[in-house]
Amino acid sequence: MAVSGGWRLLSLAVCGARVPGRSAPVRVFSSSSRVYSSDSFPSAQWRRRPLSRCELLDLGSEEENTRRALTCKRLRRFIIDPNLARLVTDHLSHDLEDTNAVIFEVNPGPGVLTRMLLNCGAQRVVALECDKSFLPDLQVLEGDLDGQLEVLHCDFFKLDPIGQGSMKLPAMYSNKLFSQLGITAVPWTSDVPVKVVGMFSQRNERNMLWKLVYALFERQSIFRYGRVELIMFISEKNYSRITAREGKYRDYRALSVLFQMSCEVQLLHQVPWSSFLTTSKSKNGNVSKSTTVPNDHMCLVRVTPRADLFSSGITQFNSSTLMMMVKQCLIRRAAPLADKLNAWSPGCAAELLLGAGLSEEVMVGDVSPDQYRRLFELMELSDQFSQSWLYTEILENTLQSCGI
Amino acid sequence: MSVLRLSGFLRKLPAEARRSSALLLTADSCGSCSRLRSSDRIPGWMYYRRHYAAIPKKSDRSKQLWERSQLIDVLEARIQQLQSDVILDVKHSKVEFLKLPHKEKRPPAGKSKKVQPGEKAEPPKAKQSSKKGAAQTSLSSQKTHGSRWSEKLDREKSDRTKKYTRLQKKFPKQVVNETVEAKSDTKQQTAKRSKGKKMLPGTSTKIIFPVKKSTPAVSKETVETAAAEKLSGEADVAEFKELYQIIDQCSLVETESVKKRDDSETQLSACCYLEACVYTGDVERAQRFLLLHHRNLSKRSVLTVRFYNTLMKMWAKKGALPQISKLFVMLAEAELKPDAGSYSAVLECMGRMPESSTNLIERCLEQMKEDGLCVDDVFSQCLFRLDERDMVLKAVRDGKPDYEPPTSAKSPQCSLTLVKDFYAQREDVRFPKMDFELAELQERFKQQLAVEQSNTITIDSVEAIKPVTENMTKMRKLLEVQYGHWQRSLLQALRESKQVLKKGRLRNWKTDLYPLLCVLHDEEYVKIMLQTLENLPPTGDSLVNLAKELGSRVYSTFCIQQKIQMVKKMSHIYNSYAELLAKDTESSNVLPRERWIELEAEMSAGPSLLSVEASWPHMLLVQLGCFLANLLVCELKIPSNILNPELDNKLIPILYHMYIFRNSRQIGFIKPHPILVKIQSDATVTKLTFDSYVMPMLCPPIPWTSPKSGAYLLTPTKLMRAVDGANQHQLLLEKCQNEDLHAVLDSLNQLGNCAWKINKPMLDIIISIFNDKGCDKLDIPPPLTEAPEIPRFNPHDQSYTIEEKAHLKQEIMKARKKYGEMHSLRMDALYKLSIANHMRDEIFWFPHNMDFRGRTYPCPPYLNHLGSDMTRCILLFAEGKPLGPTGLDWLKIHLVNLTGLKKRSSLAGRLEYANSIMDDILDSADNPLTGRGWWMSADEPWQCLACCKEIASAHRSPDHTEFISCFPVHQDGSCNGLQHYAALGRDVIGATSVNLMPCEEPQDVYSGVAQQVEEFRKRDAAKGLKTAIVLEGFINRKVVKQTVMTVVYGVTRYGGRLQIEKRLKEIDDFPKEYLWDASHYLVQQVFSSLKEMFTGTREIQNWLTESARLISKSGSTVEWVTPLGLPIVQPYHRSRSQLVRSNIQMLNVQISYDVHEKPDTMKQKNAFPPNFIHSLDSTHMMLTALYCYSAGVTFVSVHDCFWTHPITVDTMNKVCREQFVSLHNQPILQNLSEFLLQKYCSGSVGKTNKAFLEFNRMQQLLARVPETGDFDLQRVKDSTYFFS
Repeated sequence: MAVSGGWRLLSLAVCGARVPGRSAPVRVFSSSSRVYSSDSFPSAQWRRRPLSRCELLDLGSEEENTRRALTCKRLRRFIIDPNLARLVTDHLSHDLEDTNAVIFEVNPGPGVLTRMLLNCGAQRVVALECDKSFLPDLQVLEGDLDGQLEVLHCDFFKLDPIGQGSMKLPAMYSNKLFSQLGITAVPWTSDVPVKVVGMFSQRNERNMLWKLVYALFERQSIFRYGRVELIMFISEKNYSRITAREGKYRDYRALSVLFQMSCEVQLLHQVPWSSFLTTSKSKNGNVSKSTTVPNDHMCLVRVTPRADLFSSGITQFNSSTLMMMVKQCLIRRAAPLADKLNAWSPGCAAELLLGAGLSEEVMVGDVSPDQYRRLFELMELSDQFSQSWLYTEILENTLQSCGI
Repeated sequence: MSVLRLSGFLRKLPAEARRSSALLLTADSCGSCSRLRSSDRIPGWMYYRRHYAAIPKKSDRSKQLWERSQLIDVLEARIQQLQSDVILDVKHSKVEFLKLPHKEKRPPAGKSKKVQPGEKAEPPKAKQSSKKGAAQTSLSSQKTHGSRWSEKLDREKSDRTKKYTRLQKKFPKQVVNETVEAKSDTKQQTAKRSKGKKMLPGTSTKIIFPVKKSTPAVSKETVETAAAEKLSGEADVAEFKELYQIIDQCSLVETESVKKRDDSETQLSACCYLEACVYTGDVERAQRFLLLHHRNLSKRSVLTVRFYNTLMKMWAKKGALPQISKLFVMLAEAELKPDAGSYSAVLECMGRMPESSTNLIERCLEQMKEDGLCVDDVFSQCLFRLDERDMVLKAVRDGKPDYEPPTSAKSPQCSLTLVKDFYAQREDVRFPKMDFELAELQERFKQQLAVEQSNTITIDSVEAIKPVTENMTKMRKLLEVQYGHWQRSLLQALRESKQVLKKGRLRNWKTDLYPLLCVLHDEEYVKIMLQTLENLPPTGDSLVNLAKELGSRVYSTFCIQQKIQMVKKMSHIYNSYAELLAKDTESSNVLPRERWIELEAEMSAGPSLLSVEASWPHMLLVQLGCFLANLLVCELKIPSNILNPELDNKLIPILYHMYIFRNSRQIGFIKPHPILVKIQSDATVTKLTFDSYVMPMLCPPIPWTSPKSGAYLLTPTKLMRAVDGANQHQLLLEKCQNEDLHAVLDSLNQLGNCAWKINKPMLDIIISIFNDKGCDKLDIPPPLTEAPEIPRFNPHDQSYTIEEKAHLKQEIMKARKKYGEMHSLRMDALYKLSIANHMRDEIFWFPHNMDFRGRTYPCPPYLNHLGSDMTRCILLFAEGKPLGPTGLDWLKIHLVNLTGLKKRSSLAGRLEYANSIMDDILDSADNPLTGRGWWMSADEPWQCLACCKEIASAHRSPDHTEFISCFPVHQDGSCNGLQHYAALGRDVIGATSVNLMPCEEPQDVYSGVAQQVEEFRKRDAAKGLKTAIVLEGFINRKVVKQTVMTVVYGVTRYGGRLQIEKRLKEIDDFPKEYLWDASHYLVQQVFSSLKEMFTGTREIQNWLTESARLISKSGSTVEWVTPLGLPIVQPYHRSRSQLVRSNIQMLNVQISYDVHEKPDTMKQKNAFPPNFIHSLDSTHMMLTALYCYSAGVTFVSVHDCFWTHPITVDTMNKVCREQFVSLHNQPILQNLSEFLLQKYCSGSVGKTNKAFLEFNRMQQLLARVPETGDFDLQRVKDSTYFFS
């Protein structure tokens, strides 16, 4: 039986449903030049891995995918190379086995990674694509499968916008998205409900990181539903920012402290920029320069919110105070921390620093994220600080007012 | 020369051949000039560098020289310099090189001189170069210095180029090929060249420019025969020489202008630094500074003659001639020419010396002559601070006993066609007098002088009338005690930090603020700091703003302190000047400006009225301000238990430096501690301290006589307002012919000479409401006690749910925002009312200046007639005039206009309406707050009420025609921007809809647009568009008005949408969820209906926009001149950031006006049409002002709203229409086109094909003035509703 196009080994559950859809893949994949027959199926590269319970979807020809990706008018990067997609899924193998978590794929484009994820056994993938032009193809794929894939016109990076005006797709409110998908909130300490796979947009990576970290601390937006995990490509520059340790004054910023305090950041892999297909016309592919790192790689990182983040002292309400404190502190790393503390509550610095086990002359940039957390908890306990006028200022510094 | 020939050739070519020839041009020009230029493959800037290498040797030598020449005569130095000048002109030879080593090797300071040493340094390296062509050309460069064999090479080269040209004539195609080859040959050079070009776009044009000049030689050459080849070869040699110079100049230009920006800025701050040193008598510091810069050649480029002169003047005061001689030697060393200022110092010094020999003076005068200066220049060009002038005169008279300083010749009259009559024909004209006696004016002058001399003025706040509570007294006492502490601790801290600064090594003067901290007494600085503290808003202020405020306060105090020297002279002049204005003297036809200049010339002895010192650049002010702000933050402390004695007693700072985060930026902020805010607000301060310029003047302002002097007596005022730090406007004004500005200056003087007084009954009513609880509906801001309470948020409070907490947070944020807004509104009103209250029995004046488009503004910022409805209603003309036969009617019509009710009725209709509601009017006047309150529902309630009162008084007077009224009646242009557009385009339909055409009833453009939009809506609604259906019944005049009005002033769709959204929000029953869509839809419809109605307008607007775009793209800012001769430049440039270092924070200040940056095309193009129209409406206003003055009519304006007495409304209306017609009878657009063409297209074209095309496009566009329709402009004269 020669059915061209993607083949799937029928897992028992889907068996019945799969059959009627069979003719559709022909339409989709006939546009690609590679047509497999059942016997000649997997190309060399697939043969190497054991065929598990999955039958594989065809990824389409690279040229065709490239052509389609390049029709996109925005500045974007795509995963076209099957090897690259393979690499990502290899790192995700544990996640794919975890059947409780839904996988959000951010901006799949032509869908190479999407298919690879499905091929590798993902149970439920939600493709959030911001560009309308990719939707039809993805929707065809959605139709072929039996509920493993849902395709939505949605821009993950524009979830819960702050501006006014009527909401137009692909911008969306997260509660609408989640309720549409039937995902309910779970307690913070329970397992990860959603894993977001994809890559940060190049244009406003830093702003997105800020937006995420605010949402995380305030448990708003996607984090209202639990500890959403990000498995994303991020530029080397910003990776080194969020993972910089105390003492490295140059990179150690508020963002580093907040990320390390709230999340486990794990580097999975590094890939050169050139591995991705880009719509950028400029020579360096619009990669911003960095003075501290070569910034010639994208880093695949896993960012998992800490389960114990809200266990001691920090709540989603006072966390904005914490963020304000960190931001105010880390503007100049080479400044004594005592000065800052004294500015908030005069004369309290010595006691506080002693309590946190820090020396009185310690510089702002030499205090670790954990120590900041400890400091904040102490501040919360002290009456002096709750009366501090600065406490009230902090209120203005919420996700809304930071205007990202 | 091929380049020359080709550039000439290019012009003759038919269009289709242009492309290829342009290619040829680029190829060949590279082949020859760039090879020449970078002969030894060293790009231009390297020459420069090599000079630096020569620095140490030279400075050693000059140091020795300097040490030896303790007492060198002035003249000797001068002669030496003159000699060397001659030598330089004659071209250097090696012998000379040895003779005057220190002259030769000096790094270039003047452009022309730089060229030659540059060439000289070349040869050794050139020889090493391997390529034949390169060697050849590099050697040929030596030829200019006279070496024979290089001349030969040169000739060879010229022969080669000749062959090219001959070939080119015969086989043009082949040449293309060949030049392409040549191109590849010279690729490297080209690359280098283009690099250079990138650094400075101006360069390429400079290369071409001189080439173009010699094109005649080219055409000659083309007809030459082979026999004449030798001759032409020589011509080539000459051209080569020329080219060398050009090229070398170019390379210099490149290196120089890269540094230029830096120079102009650092120069100014350096100048201020030095002058501050000299001012404070810190001789040692000044001397050290100059020497440091003089000896270090890289730093020497900062120095100009002015620096040396400053020091000379300092020595002149001490009568130290030897020191001055030394400085002359240094001047010579720096290859600068002494100017009038230098000689003025010498002469002053000689004048001060008890026994100066006549001989010496004579020699000095002789020397001046050799420098091309005469004694008259000293008197006409120099400014004198004290008795310098007398000393110079004394010295000169020792030399020339019968010398008389020049009396300034009568400056020519303004000859612009628009105002020719005004200036030329005034035998019969008698300008109006003020309603004051001479002695009274003189007395008022004294009062004003006293106010300005003390720099600040403290007045009672209107809140002082409130009853004093116990708490208030307590708080006031607390505050007073604290201020005492603060004053002392600031003083001590300032002195300490000055000590530290003083000892600091003078390595970097840029960060050395010491001299600037010495120009005033320490107490003055402290006073300024405390005054700033008082004015700090309770929500804090950004550090930059605070620093600016502090810095500019110091500067203006310093300026006033300097000017105190000339108070005596000014009093003399003013006392005589007042004769012109006073009513008890003979009337005349002399303008205030003319009289003032005359008097100034008469009393020329003593100090000049203008300030001598350079003005402090903006960045310097910020730097100084930061220093003072740091002191404030560090030093001011308060006991933490001051309000609650139960707490521990700790000293806590009252100001905090923190950051706020906006997007990805962090902004330094200074916030006051809540304790301070609490005390301040509880104490309700009863005294307000203002800078003196905030108050209106107590005497008629000093007339503007030049861009440098006018308005206040001592406070420095700019003729043209600009963004802090932008000085291009001032430079442009100072550059233009003085007589061209006469009309503008005179109209400003006329506006400033209008006397005002306070409408006391109105003020009392407003103050009573203000001190009660304010009233939002009537725009009287309520006090902060009326503000919604800010909920306190406790994150640990368990009684709230998550949603409630989130909601609470939002509420708090809103409440805080509201609180901040209320405070600033309240303070604004408090200032206005307090000033008005202080002035309640006075008569006062508003000096005027203008913005960069010529729109005029009163200088005092709070209380002025441009303000809100509330401020306008408390102002009256000081002078009263009888109502006359029509005055009462005009008052009534004015009243109806203020209500905004009968916009579409005729004047008769409005009058009738007013008569029909006389009852309401009288009731409003008699019982404003207790009656029916008819006035409260008007558009402008307060002015309406004032008008009701005036009408009531006139109505009840026995004979209303004799009733003396001080009430200003307004005449508004109906959509003035569109009026000017319609007149420019002679657009019949447009002109009719904005009332240029006489009509029975006023046309209302806003209603017209609303109708049109409604039609569009109906059409779309029929199609089923949801937004259009929702909008049914909501489209009216009010919704579209603001947008229509501002479209002509360049409002974008984005801004227009916001405006409409605001209007829709005000409509209560409009569904809120459709706000965005509806406003978005409406703004589109408004734009398209305007497009349909005003076709001519659009065309002109597009032409202006497109012109500006091309001009800006070509790298220039858009400039033009108004029909009244006012030069205008749009100050929009790409922004750059400048770092200001201070101990409190690094400040990153964005600067968008830097003339060395490229223009911001977006802003230049979007702003040009509105700015141009504004420049026209300001011209119309100025013309009206001038002619009203000669007609004896009181006239003031709020841009396009003209005010006058009721009796003179008719006269003003006539003048206004006549001037509009005469303005638009000028070929305004043609003149603009000619001006732009002359300015931007008379230069030369860029070399690349693209630049050439762009240039061509621009030229064509600028020449293509939009066509006009056939509206007859004269009809305006009969149009009743043109201004009504």
